[in-house]
Amino acid sequence: MSQTLIRRLFNQACSRNIFILNQSLLSSHEPILPGYIGLRNTSFFNKLPAEDIWRGVTAVSNAGKKRGRGKGSGKKVAKDLNKGQSIGFGKCGRIWPGLNSPLIRGNELINQQKLNENLDRENGILKLRDSMGSFKLMKLNPIDRGWSGSKMPGRSIGPPDPVGDEEFVSFDTRVLENKIVFIMKGNMGRKRRYSVLSVTGNGNGLAGFATAKAPEVRTALRKSKNRAGQKLINISLCENRTIFHDFRTDFGKTKIFCFQKPDGYGLVCHRAIQTICKVIGIKDLYAKIEGSTNIQNIAKAFFIGLMTQRSYQYIANETNSNIVQLQKTRNRFIDVKGMPFPNSTLTQNTQEIDYMHFTLGNQIVLQRKGTVPFYVYSKGHDLHQFKKERFRNQVNVRLHKLVNAYD
Amino acid sequence: MHLLRSLRQLNGLQGVRQAIRQVSSAPTKPAALQYERDPQPLFTDAETQRLLQSMTQLNLDKVYRKRTVPDNSSETKFMSNEQLDNEFQNLVVRAQQILQMPPIVQIKKDVERVIAKDTALKDFANSKFVFTDITFGRRQSERKVIVRDMDGTLAYATLDTTKRMNQLYFPLEGRQSYTPRMFALEELLAKCLAEHKYEFILDRLLVQYEPHEPEFHNISARVFEHLNESKEFDLLRSTRHFGPMAFFYAWHRCIDDLLYDMIRRDYLHNAVELIALSYKLHNIPVEYQATLTELGKLHATPAESALAELRSVFRRHDNKQNIEQEIHTAIGKTEHDFAADEISLKFIEQYIASEHALKKVQLELAVQTLKEVNREKLMLFQGLKKAHGVQAS
Repeated sequence: MSQTLIRRLFNQACSRNIFILNQSLLSSHEPILPGYIGLRNTSFFNKLPAEDIWRGVTAVSNAGKKRGRGKGSGKKVAKDLNKGQSIGFGKCGRIWPGLNSPLIRGNELINQQKLNENLDRENGILKLRDSMGSFKLMKLNPIDRGWSGSKMPGRSIGPPDPVGDEEFVSFDTRVLENKIVFIMKGNMGRKRRYSVLSVTGNGNGLAGFATAKAPEVRTALRKSKNRAGQKLINISLCENRTIFHDFRTDFGKTKIFCFQKPDGYGLVCHRAIQTICKVIGIKDLYAKIEGSTNIQNIAKAFFIGLMTQRSYQYIANETNSNIVQLQKTRNRFIDVKGMPFPNSTLTQNTQEIDYMHFTLGNQIVLQRKGTVPFYVYSKGHDLHQFKKERFRNQVNVRLHKLVNAYD
Repeated sequence: MHLLRSLRQLNGLQGVRQAIRQVSSAPTKPAALQYERDPQPLFTDAETQRLLQSMTQLNLDKVYRKRTVPDNSSETKFMSNEQLDNEFQNLVVRAQQILQMPPIVQIKKDVERVIAKDTALKDFANSKFVFTDITFGRRQSERKVIVRDMDGTLAYATLDTTKRMNQLYFPLEGRQSYTPRMFALEELLAKCLAEHKYEFILDRLLVQYEPHEPEFHNISARVFEHLNESKEFDLLRSTRHFGPMAFFYAWHRCIDDLLYDMIRRDYLHNAVELIALSYKLHNIPVEYQATLTELGKLHATPAESALAELRSVFRRHDNKQNIEQEIHTAIGKTEHDFAADEISLKFIEQYIASEHALKKVQLELAVQTLKEVNREKLMLFQGLKKAHGVQAS
């Protein structure tokens, strides 16, 4: 568009020049003599004011603004480099009669004179330029940044606003999704709104999530945060750090398999589930998503799975068996997790019920055996292993000598 | 290239020299208390073993405490009551194996047993020849190691050489061919003792040395002496080292600090056993069998207590918990415990009155304090029984 505008203005200027020349020829009746004809060039640089020209550099048109272009465009401000400079006052001080001094002082005519050099002028100009507002990108701490760049998903937006005198103590809200949605109206055309999905929780088993829409991002974030605070769900945590058992859950086309993991495992899962777990207080989890990774479906499926967990007591009553956990960190000590009610008669189960079968409900995940290279079963590999056997401990010995090299 | 190879050989030689130096080093400070005569017949006696095992106690939370292992996952299963009871019994049996005490034996001396002295083979080679029995499946203590010396003598190897050869051909997990730094350097061992890492020192000592070696006796005696000064006896309770420690104190007639600790913690049964052990080791003509028999009837063995504790999960689930169990839970003692305490206190006072006790005043004060506490508990116990209408038996 700029090129088109420049070309149109240029053509207009050229046409005007020709017109002026023709007019001067027609108006005179004398023969044309060679002489100097004064011309005044014209373009948009001397037709538009400075504000309009600078707006073309630092701003975005309304059409582009509607399309969501020009991120951070409102923050840039042009610097006026002419501040602190005037014609007639320069680095070498000089009296120019009529320009920076009067022509006549009393009855005397003033002539040009040379004054002392102005050594601080350049520093003054630079200081004046620095004192103008400078646009500086805010440095975002890597811990506070979200999943990608400076985008909102994954970032924290604080606790929900207090309701009356009740405050959301130790709550934290994180954005899961921030997108632009358009709706068509007969009288207004395409109308843009921001849709925000956020999850809030106290890190101790109380959490909620909600979606909100608003014409502005800030408004949508605030609405989503406060609405999530009104939709809290109580979720039981096993040992205050993980889920009670492996489960499978789905919503729409999204299917999630969640597995209980020991202390110190961490969160090995989709980033949306990781954010939800941090807000709820889950610290050790492995989750695998099959199907669509739509964020709203992930959040709904995960929350449904957490809500439909079964406690050890419930499972014990349902199966009429004791639930026992063998802990390897305690030398395979037996920890009784749940026992059925005493009035029921425990019978020896004719078929052994597998715990994983019971919790995952006939949706067992196949643990595929790792494939070995093609040469493992060959005669050459056997010979290679036979030759290598006598050197099998040399690496450990060398490492041991490195570690224990002391006097 | 030739220069680099020479440098590498020199480095190898330095390593060998270091190894030789490390093998021969030992802590400079010897222990003050040592065994003069052979303690093994008294240690492996059945009655002594029973007393030491009872003193050690069997706290399942201590025996099966959480450790750092490569795989810290857990396995969840369904079990019936019979299966669960079987697993509980296996747990107790395994705990007893974990608490197996290392033996206290006399320091073994090197006896030079010459097989042949062939003077014709004198200066045949520049080094000795070592012949090691590497038969598969044989015990380490039964392997023969024979050395042909440079002067032609063929003899059985010394204990040090035998140990090194066994470690070379059949290495034990965790044992080093050289002396570990924490045993070689005095400041490191003193630092471990100052930080009360007694179990760590004793565990590593068991791995590194055999019970008949002088280093084993020396360092374990130093650990026990430091324990007697710091009085942190609870750190070794429910471990395999409590029995040897108690035996050490009883042998050297310094059981008073451990006895004070037992009385203060209300382990009167253990205190009686410790005094009986001291009487037994020094052939003191005091009758303790009757007291031990009576206490044995009133008290359960540690294994039985642990199994009952595990089986209480069945009873805990039962809603019909009777009043006696509630009173027992509130007080922490039963009628049998009070009766046992009476017998124990009588025996302990008899010991304090004799000339064998070294710290009479402290022990007397501890006994008086415990008597007052027991009297108050007994009054509370009887009051609760009367309030709940339980028949006084």
